[in-house]
Amino acid sequence: MTDIKIEMNNIAKIFETDDVETHALKDVDIVIRAGEYVSIAGPSGCGKSTLLSLLGLLDMPSSGSYIIEGVDVSNLSLDEAAGIRNEKIGFVFQSFNLIDELSVFDNVALPLQYKKELPTDDFIKTRVEACLKMVEMSHRAGHKPNQLSGGQQQRIAIARALVADPAILLVDEPTGNLDSKSGDTVMAVLAELNKNGTTICMVTHDTRYADMANIQLKLLDGQIVKDELLKVAV
Amino acid sequence: MRKLILQYKQAWASLKKKPGFVLTVLMTMGITLGALLCVVTLNYLLLVEPLPYPEQERLFVAEHGLIGAKKETKAVAYTYPGLVHLYKSKQAFEQASMMMYGQDVIVSHSSQPLVNIAYVTPDLHQILASPMALGRMFEASEALDTNNPVAMLSYNTWMQEYNGSADILEKKISLSGVSYHIVGVLAEHFVEPELEIIGRKTQVWLPWDYNQAGKWQRQAFDNINGSLKFIGLLKQEVSQSQAQQLLTPLVNDRWQAGLPGDDDFFKGWTINMHVRSVKDRILGESESIAVMLLAGVVGLVLIACANISNLFMARTAEKQRQMAIQAAIGATKKHLFKAMFAETSLLMFMSIILALVLAQFGFYIMQQYLGAILPRVNELSLTPITFASAVLVTIIFALFFAKLSTRMINYRALNTTLQSSGKGSGLQVSKKTRQVLIASQVALATVLVFANFSLLKDAVKTINAPIGFATDNISTLILNFSSSDIPSQEEAKPIMAEIMEKLEALPQVESLAQGNSPLDGFWVRALTSVANNEKYTPFFKSVDHHYFNMIEQPILQGDNFTMAQRQDGANVMIVNQAFAKQLKADGDVLGMQISTGRPDSFKIIGIVKDITIPGDSPTDRDSSALGSGVPRVYVPNGLGGQSFMLKLKSGQTVSRKQLGTLLAEVDSRYSVFSFNAASAILTQTLFAEITTAVTTTVLASLVFLLAGIGLYGILSYGTQLRRFEIGARMAIGATRKHLITMIIGDNTKAVLAGFIGSIVLFALAYISLSEYIQPFLTWQVLPMVVATLVLIILVTLFACYWPLRQYINKAAIYSLRGSD
Ligand SMILES: Nc1ncnc2c1ncn2[C@@H]1O[C@H](COP(=O)(O)OP(=O)(O)OP(=O)(O)O)[C@@H](O)[C@H]1O
Ligand SMILES: [Mg+2]
Repeated sequence: MTDIKIEMNNIAKIFETDDVETHALKDVDIVIRAGEYVSIAGPSGCGKSTLLSLLGLLDMPSSGSYIIEGVDVSNLSLDEAAGIRNEKIGFVFQSFNLIDELSVFDNVALPLQYKKELPTDDFIKTRVEACLKMVEMSHRAGHKPNQLSGGQQQRIAIARALVADPAILLVDEPTGNLDSKSGDTVMAVLAELNKNGTTICMVTHDTRYADMANIQLKLLDGQIVKDELLKVAV
Repeated sequence: MRKLILQYKQAWASLKKKPGFVLTVLMTMGITLGALLCVVTLNYLLLVEPLPYPEQERLFVAEHGLIGAKKETKAVAYTYPGLVHLYKSKQAFEQASMMMYGQDVIVSHSSQPLVNIAYVTPDLHQILASPMALGRMFEASEALDTNNPVAMLSYNTWMQEYNGSADILEKKISLSGVSYHIVGVLAEHFVEPELEIIGRKTQVWLPWDYNQAGKWQRQAFDNINGSLKFIGLLKQEVSQSQAQQLLTPLVNDRWQAGLPGDDDFFKGWTINMHVRSVKDRILGESESIAVMLLAGVVGLVLIACANISNLFMARTAEKQRQMAIQAAIGATKKHLFKAMFAETSLLMFMSIILALVLAQFGFYIMQQYLGAILPRVNELSLTPITFASAVLVTIIFALFFAKLSTRMINYRALNTTLQSSGKGSGLQVSKKTRQVLIASQVALATVLVFANFSLLKDAVKTINAPIGFATDNISTLILNFSSSDIPSQEEAKPIMAEIMEKLEALPQVESLAQGNSPLDGFWVRALTSVANNEKYTPFFKSVDHHYFNMIEQPILQGDNFTMAQRQDGANVMIVNQAFAKQLKADGDVLGMQISTGRPDSFKIIGIVKDITIPGDSPTDRDSSALGSGVPRVYVPNGLGGQSFMLKLKSGQTVSRKQLGTLLAEVDSRYSVFSFNAASAILTQTLFAEITTAVTTTVLASLVFLLAGIGLYGILSYGTQLRRFEIGARMAIGATRKHLITMIIGDNTKAVLAGFIGSIVLFALAYISLSEYIQPFLTWQVLPMVVATLVLIILVTLFACYWPLRQYINKAAIYSLRGSD
């Protein structure tokens, strides 16, 4: 089916440290379709972040297959993975991970700079401005990240994740470092994006926010326990 | 007190967890501070420490300078009768001694060793208050013209040649046909003033009367000898310049009166007496070597210091959270400084202990290898000055590193660090600070590497300079005559002919020549061109008709000497290119007549190619020949000469003993004075250059190593601080190429700034030291500039890539982990 954005089959992840093997993930099957809003919840240490890093190609699975938009990405070199991340994945971290030395505008523009073919300056300008507008941060384009509040920084991070028009937005506890009011604003932005067609996969502890997703997955000891369809995507 | 001990215990415990860090600090600081202590002690010894003699501040030498008609210094050396006249006059000096240096064979000893001799009047050891191990020093009974055959041995000679035998004072030794009664042995700790060659140690001391000057030389005012010295205690009320004013007319008047009336070679010349302190005389040119070494080592210490600063800064960054927790529970800034100081002082203390051990080792190395370049190195040891500098250096560096580390801590930001629970930026050294550190490191490294390259190139050039003649398998045999009734040339001729016959018959000998090799030395002879009356003082040597063939020195024009010319004592001369050029600009000098002052002048019959003997420079300092080779002149020698060049078949050897037996068979009065391979003499002449080359190579490698470690440290630290940033960039799709390019690009600016900084340093050096630097500033430095830049760039590139590889060659999550 063409509207399948992401398909994971039989994914396992084993960490080996000092003779100790940690089975962080086993037998994970996930399918995410275009326009879906998926949340992943579960107790601490159950493997949420690990799963998200596999989805985002920040790490490679120990076994299993992984297909993004019909392309098999289960076995890529480091640079190939970087290329796919750049093209197809937008990542939002709990700790923002903005680059202090760059302005808000430059932070958002960064993924475009890593494209195989560098877009024109005009394209970059319109695209960055459009993304800043989506997260309602246009007025702060010239600031440095450390001059902004946590919530504002997270919205910049979302703009940066969107700028290269990815297949899916991966979000890891976006409100973990924020107070509830800023958290609400960030979540509102995500909900708005999803309404406009962005596919999202989000890890969160907060059941309130998990409820905003139309598919809720639950992880326990590295395995998915509940695959519940709440609402049908628009 | 308990608090202090606790602090050091904590510091020790925390250091123990970082063996890599401790080891790097220890090695870097230990080695460089060891070198520093070594060189500081050396400089103190040479420049400050008094000589180990009573009243050493009144100890002076008087030097006899021959001044030419144009007020130029022609030579600094005494005439024999001039020295005796000065000694007898008893002017300006309270007590003074004449000295003559020489070598002779102890014929009475079973192995007939060649030893260094000093012929002295009794005053010398009285002035120096030389300590004795056994017996007595020379006294009034050995004063001038007493002819009392007694001898003193050095401690080492007593030990090595006579096994320290207890009845040494009952023994006699015989040299050159005189038997000397041994009256004393100098103490082991006696320090001989190195007035002639640095590192030369007198083995046997003999009374002045027995010196090697011939009857003729003792009267000759037109003959100078470099091994004659005058040393004494200046009168209390006489100053150095007063002494010069007093002695110059005294010596000059006698010299003018004593010159042979028929010789106008010295017309217009005068004698100028130069009185200088013994300390200054001994130090000579060594001052600049010592100071250069100090400068080099200070450079090393600066580099090491920059490196270690980086390490400490990295460590502070690492300890940021720990310090934040300490601050949260009430530690003040002072507390943090004290804790840091406990760590740095502990590290510096360990480093300085290592440094002291290495310094002691360094003294040994210097005594072994720099003894021929630097005076007084035998006196080197760990002195109070060494320990005082060690303590000072420890305290300064401990304070410096502690201050540097704590200054980085933004005390107010510590709270924020805790609140953000280590997320985000952590403690970051600002980009600017990082760049300044890189730039200064590059600047320093560039200057030092370049300077070392230049020194190295010069040293290697001297060693590799073609000498222009062959030394392979050639040895010089010099005979010793052990009787006082020296035979005349005529008497010696048949004996020498027989010796040569026997030498040539040895199966090992390929060919033979009478006379010694170019490396055994040249005389200097005063010559006058008959055509225009110009005066010259070229190097001079009498050689036989085999000489040029044997050493493969090409005859470019004219003829070689013949046996007949040697037999007849023909007045013919062969000159080298340099002298030919000096005589006539076009060098066409065949047939020219050259006068030696005697009625018959010499005719130039041949021109040979120039040779280069390391360390030889033209005698005529203002001669136009400077830079175009040393002028040399050759005349045929007689048949009675007592030295020979032996060319052995390759792979063959002849022993000193074998030669001794051969000589004794012909005439028992002859023995071997010396038998040395030309290549060995050459190596010896090059010793100073080889040592310099080795020293500079070692320094240069150390500099490069330290500069490399430093650059690497700073760049890798900078990269570590950017770890999360790198992770974030990877997450949004940066490839390895992107990241490498980014790091190199960021560091390039700092490296360029460093290069500019080094140019500024050079410019400053040029302004203050232009007279030294100017001669080096030619296009020839260009390759060295390029080599320096290439090396620095290579290290930079490596230092950019290597720390980065741990992040970019792993999945992106590893760089990000810890930020989440
Ligand atoms: N690099 C690693 N090496 C070894 N084990 C690891 C590594 N990363 C994660 N783990 C282990 O894998 C398991 C899953 O970790 P993960 O970070 O995915 O949990 P999480 O669900 O995100 O927890 P939290 O809600 O606390 O963030 C844990 O048991 C963890 O100890
Ligand atoms: Mg997690």
